[in-house]
Amino acid sequence: MDADSDVALDILITNVVCVFRTRCHLNLRKIALEGANVIYKRDVGKVLMKLRKPRITATIWSSGKIICTGATSEEEAKFGARRLARSLQKLGFQVIFTDFKVVNVLAVCNMPFEIRLPEFTKNNRPHASYEPELHPAVCYRIKSLRATLQIFSTGSITVTGPNVKAVATAVEQIYPFVFEITT
Amino acid sequence: MTGRVCRGCGGTDIELDAARGDAVCTACGSVLEDNIIVSEVQFVESSGGGSSAVGQFVSLDGRRHIHHLGNQLQLNQHCLDTAFNFFKMAVSRHLTRGRKTAHVIAACLYLVCRTEGTPHMLLDLSDLLQVNVYVLGKTFLLLARELCINAPAIDPCLYIPRFAHLLEFGEKNHEVSMTALRLLQRMKRDWMHTGRRPSGLCGAALLVAARMHDFRRTVKEVISVVKVCESTLRKRLTEFEDTPTSQLTIDEFMKIDLEEECDPPSYTAGQRKLRMKQLEQVLSKKLEEVEGEISSYQDAIEIELENSRPKAKGGLASLAKDGSAEDTASSLCGEEDTEDEELEAAASHLNKDLYRELLAATPGSSEAAGSPQWSGRPPALESLLDPLPTAASLGISDSIRECISSQSSDPKDASGDGELDLSGIDDLEIDRYILNESEARVKAELWMRENAEYLREQREKEARIAKEKELGIYKEHKPKKSCKRREPIQASTAREAIEKMLEQKKISSKINYSVLRGLSSAGGGSPLREDARPEHSGSARKLSRRRTPASTSAADAVTSMGKRLRPLVSTQPAKKAATGEGLLPSSPALGAEPARPQAVLVESGPVSYHADEEAEEEEPDEEDGELCVSALQMMGGNDYGCDVDEDDGY
Repeated sequence: MDADSDVALDILITNVVCVFRTRCHLNLRKIALEGANVIYKRDVGKVLMKLRKPRITATIWSSGKIICTGATSEEEAKFGARRLARSLQKLGFQVIFTDFKVVNVLAVCNMPFEIRLPEFTKNNRPHASYEPELHPAVCYRIKSLRATLQIFSTGSITVTGPNVKAVATAVEQIYPFVFEITT
Repeated sequence: MTGRVCRGCGGTDIELDAARGDAVCTACGSVLEDNIIVSEVQFVESSGGGSSAVGQFVSLDGRRHIHHLGNQLQLNQHCLDTAFNFFKMAVSRHLTRGRKTAHVIAACLYLVCRTEGTPHMLLDLSDLLQVNVYVLGKTFLLLARELCINAPAIDPCLYIPRFAHLLEFGEKNHEVSMTALRLLQRMKRDWMHTGRRPSGLCGAALLVAARMHDFRRTVKEVISVVKVCESTLRKRLTEFEDTPTSQLTIDEFMKIDLEEECDPPSYTAGQRKLRMKQLEQVLSKKLEEVEGEISSYQDAIEIELENSRPKAKGGLASLAKDGSAEDTASSLCGEEDTEDEELEAAASHLNKDLYRELLAATPGSSEAAGSPQWSGRPPALESLLDPLPTAASLGISDSIRECISSQSSDPKDASGDGELDLSGIDDLEIDRYILNESEARVKAELWMRENAEYLREQREKEARIAKEKELGIYKEHKPKKSCKRREPIQASTAREAIEKMLEQKKISSKINYSVLRGLSSAGGGSPLREDARPEHSGSARKLSRRRTPASTSAADAVTSMGKRLRPLVSTQPAKKAATGEGLLPSSPALGAEPARPQAVLVESGPVSYHADEEAEEEEPDEEDGELCVSALQMMGGNDYGCDVDEDDGY
C-alpha cells in the first residue's frame, strides 16, 4: 500500500546545481563587456551569466570554475553548462569542458495529509530537529544519503540531496515515518 | 599581579590564593572571586623524567561569563552549574573553536533552560547579547546535536505565567492564566501551534483571556511583553476566530470542549489556493470552448454573407488571389465589428496591419505585400479565412510560410569541438548573447557609472598603499585567521631580543628579570621559551587589537586564533594569576603537534625552574621543524644573526 502511494506522489525537482571547470583562465572583464546578459560583481570577483533556453544562472570565476544553478533536471543542467561553455568559446577563450558534476538537487513533494511535527520529532530523535522559534519545519537529516528534508506541518516536504536518485530514495524512506504520524 | 581592579576600593593589588581559590583585594579585603579552580589539572610523570599536564583546560573567564549571563536571566545556581558542565563538555569536544565564546555560552545556558523547562526564550538571550537569533539558534542546534542532548520541545504553556506576571493582572492573575492555558490547549487541538513561535500563540491566548476577564490590555502592550510583531498577533487572532471554538460564549468555553479538530491554518490556506487554481483552470477551458463556438458562428455568418453578396466585382475577380483577399478583408471589416470583440482583441495588432496593407495597396502590389504578410499572420485570422473560397491563395501562402520558417529554423551544430559536445546547442542563439562593439561600449559606460563608488574606493586604497610604500611604513594587512607574522627584531642575543620585545609590548610586569638574566646564561633553553612566549603574546596582542574589545582574554584564548594564543591567559593582564594550572593546556585534548608548541610557552613565574629545565629537555626534540632548528642552534651557539631571520620566518 505504501509503495503504491509512493509511485503516486509526484516529486518536483525545482533546482539542480552543478559545477564544471574550463581549465583556462577567464578574463572576467572581457566577459562582462561583451556578454549580453551578464552581471559583473567586481567586489567579489565573479560574473553572473544568465541563459534563457535552459533557464540557468551561472557564476563564473576567473580561475575557470563555473557554478550553474536553476536547471530543473540533470540533463538540462548538463545541456546548459555546455551551452555556457560554447558561448565562452565564442568569446574567444580556449575552453575545455571538464569535471562536470551535479552538486545539489532540490526537490519538493506534497503529502496529501498533515503531519504532527512535535510527535514526529519525538519519534525520530537523533535525525530530526525541530525548533519552532527559528523555523516552522522539522529538519530531518539522512546521513547515509547525505540528504536533508524539511518537513512542514501542511505535508509539503522539501528535499535536498547530492543527486536525483538520493532525493527519490530519501522521500521513499521518509514516507513510512511520516505516514504514521498523520491526523 | 593580575592587574584587575577591586570593585570595592578601586585598588589594583589583588591577591590570588590558589589553594582556596579566592581572589581577594589586599586593600579593602573584599572577596572578588571564589571557586577559581574549576577543573583539576594534574601533572603526570612521563618516561624520561619530564612532566606533562593532564586534564582539561577551561577558560576561567568562561565561568564568570556564565554567572554573569545567568544572573541576568535569574537562573538558580543549579542551572548555572549544569550550564558550566555543558560548556566544559563543549570545550573538550572542540566545539568552541571558531565560535565566539559568548555564543557558545549562550547556547549552553539556553540548553539548560530547555532541559529544566524554565520560561526563557532564545530571543531573551539574543537580546542580552545583541546577537541575531538565528545565529544563536544555529550554535544551539549544533551544541545539542554534538552533545547528544535532546532538548524537549517548547510548550507555550510554560510562558504563560511569565507573561501574565508581566502584564500585571493583579489579583486575577491566576484566573487569567488558567483561562489562557485552556485557550492554548484548544489552539493545540486546532492545529494552530505547529510551526509557530510559541510566544505568538501565548500572546494571542493572553489577550483573549484578558478581555474575557474584563482587563483591557491593548495589542501594543501585549506585543511589548511577548516580543512578536503586531501583524503576527492579529493573524493568530483571526485564525482563532476561524475555529468553531470562537463562537462559544465565555461560560460555554469554560465548560464545554468541542470534539472536532480543525486543520492547521496554513493547510487550509493551501487548500484554498488549490481550489482557486482549479476554478481558474475550469474557467479558462470554458472560455476556450466559448471561443470555438463563436468562431464557428462567425464562419457560418460570413459564408451566408458571401453567398448573398452581388457578384459585381468582376474586374477584380480576374486577379483571383487579390480579389479574394480584398473581399475577405472588406468582409472581415464588416463582420468583425459586429461579431465578438474578444477575437479581435486577440489578433488586433496584426489584423490592423493586414487591413492597411491590403486595402491601401493597389491590386498589383498588394499581392506582393500580401504573401510575406501571411508569414506573420496570427492563427485566428487564418482560421477565419480558411473556410472561405480563397483556398487556392491560402494554400500557396501556406507553403510560402513554411519555406520561410524552415529557413529560420535553428541549425543543429553537431560539429564536435574537442572535449565540448555541441549537439543540440544553437549557435545562433548563443551569438545573440554576445554584444557588438557599440553595445559593449554602452554597457561598459553603464557599469562604470553603477560601480563608481567601489572603483573609487579601490583607487584610493591603491594610492594609499603606494604612498605608504614610499614612506616605508607599509604594513600588509592581510585578513588572516592566525597571525604568523612578526615584526623583525634585530638583536644579537636572545636576551636582547626579549628585552626589545618587552619594550615594545610593555608586558614586563609578567617577567621576573633576574631569573631571566640568570637563565640566559644557562644554554638559552628557557630564553627560547620566554622569547617565544612574549613574541606570541605580542602577535596575539596585534590580533586582539583588531578584534572587538568585548570578548575577554579568555575569549581570545579560547577562540581559535591560533593555538599559540592559548597560553595568553597567563601573559596578558589576566585576572587570574592561577597561572600554574590554567596554563598547562590539555595535551591529550589537543593532540600531539599543537600541544608541543604550547607546552613550550607555558611556564611562568610561580613554576619552579627545575621543572622548566626538565620540560625543556623534552620539548626541543618534539617541537616542529622550524622551532627545532632554532632551538638547537640556540643551544649550540649564541650567534643570533641568522636565527632571528628564521624565527621571523614562522
